[in-house]
Amino acid sequence: MSDTQWPRWEVFKQDTPNKPHQAVGSVHAADPLHALLTARNVFVRRPQAVSLWVAPASAIFSVTQEELAEGPKPSPESTGVAGAYLLFRKTSHKRSMTFVDYVGQLEAPSPQAALEQALRQFTDAEALAWWVIPASSVVRSEESPETVESWFAPAKEKTYKQQSYYGVVGTHTSKLRGRGGADES
Amino acid sequence: MPGKFGTPTDPDYALRLAEFEARIARGEKIEPGDWMPEEYRRQLVRMISQHAHSEVVGMLPEGAWITRAPSLKRKMILIAKVQDEAGHGQYLYHAAETLGISREEMLEALLSGRAKYSSIFNYPTLTWADIGTIGWLVDGAAIKNQTMLAQCSYGPYSRAMVRICAEETFHHKQGKEMVIAYAKGTPKQRQMAQDAINRWWWPALMMLGPHDADSPNSEVLIRWGVKTKSNDTVRQEFINEHAPEILATGLSLPDPELHQDPQGNWRHGPINWEEFWSVVGGNGPMNKERLEARRRAHTEGAWVREALEAYAAKKSPIPMAV
Ligand SMILES: [Fe+2]
Ligand SMILES: [Fe+2]
Repeated sequence: MSDTQWPRWEVFKQDTPNKPHQAVGSVHAADPLHALLTARNVFVRRPQAVSLWVAPASAIFSVTQEELAEGPKPSPESTGVAGAYLLFRKTSHKRSMTFVDYVGQLEAPSPQAALEQALRQFTDAEALAWWVIPASSVVRSEESPETVESWFAPAKEKTYKQQSYYGVVGTHTSKLRGRGGADES
Repeated sequence: MPGKFGTPTDPDYALRLAEFEARIARGEKIEPGDWMPEEYRRQLVRMISQHAHSEVVGMLPEGAWITRAPSLKRKMILIAKVQDEAGHGQYLYHAAETLGISREEMLEALLSGRAKYSSIFNYPTLTWADIGTIGWLVDGAAIKNQTMLAQCSYGPYSRAMVRICAEETFHHKQGKEMVIAYAKGTPKQRQMAQDAINRWWWPALMMLGPHDADSPNSEVLIRWGVKTKSNDTVRQEFINEHAPEILATGLSLPDPELHQDPQGNWRHGPINWEEFWSVVGGNGPMNKERLEARRRAHTEGAWVREALEAYAAKKSPIPMAV
């Protein structure tokens, strides 16, 4: 068998219940549960997560602002079916560790149609990039309190992973300015 | 998904390049799917994959000390740090993949010895004090570079860097705390810390790359907003922060010429670039061992990859992308 790193899955993390799921990066995994578990290990080593979604990268119809300006882009055939679509959008060039945010779900005959509908519906901010994903391709972590607790709470206890745990260590450079003499040996 | 990659022979290259450079000048991020010069893509794939390999190989020198940590607390900290480095490798491979190179290709390049990774990880970790010193100096140097790269014009690389920087500050601080504790400890601890600083100081300066005059890629990388500072500038920032802090602990640095100039910059003596290029060229003390360890891990893990794939093929209708 030739070497494989398995298919790629995009990961969406929700930090708190009132924040949207945000694209944080991708993992490679053989199946959806494997993708969710890997996503937890890769993206939830620190606090701030209540839910994870994963979707196969191959199921995502992505369009940038530049591509939008150039006119309609054919959506991939494999996902060109009628149904529910999840819409994700990027609205800022600001320094960030996440890409697109979840904005809502739409019923549409194809990803391209879902995007056109979204352009009319979500007009509160200028979009710099869109992801359209069939709802049937998105796999979500369980919402039961036990799962949330066992998946996401342990990171909160591991305070030694935070730089704040170490307080002020030694003398900061800013306090050392103006001191001369390199050779103290 | 990868967008259009322009080459100078394209009829509209000059026009599109001008638009591209104007976008960068406006502080916009270039995203997967956007037009970009093929050379921008090529440089990013080179840099990001090397960076990813460095995170992965970087687990080896420290991982070797997990079983020998002197206390449960130190052991938990080290495990968390090494696990973070694995995560950093994942973030970065992901960023490179958005440019149309596959994980398989990148791993093949690493395992075959074609790909480069940071020279620093080809030095051995001889004592426990090396673990603190790596945190303080090696992660400290990496943070300087990564903070700069967090401003990068390519969205996925920039985002990976922002995520990494947030975690690196823990790596840096735990190392600094450890070295300072040993500097204030018994004569033996102090001597162990000094020995580690002596061995890691120069490689830490070297890992920030050749002098600007010998860094052929720098100019285009700065023009396209991939890098925002030159190697020498980043190195100077590193020394200005770390030299006085280390000296304040009472430890010394292995550079008789090190001094502070009238502008307040800490000036270092000549760097042994012959050693640097020899390590980059594969002849460092640990190059062979590092590569062998990676290859062994890859080969020994093959059955896991195959088993999971077979299980998924039986269970799930999702097609296996190649
Ligand atoms: Fe790292
Ligand atoms: Fe680190």
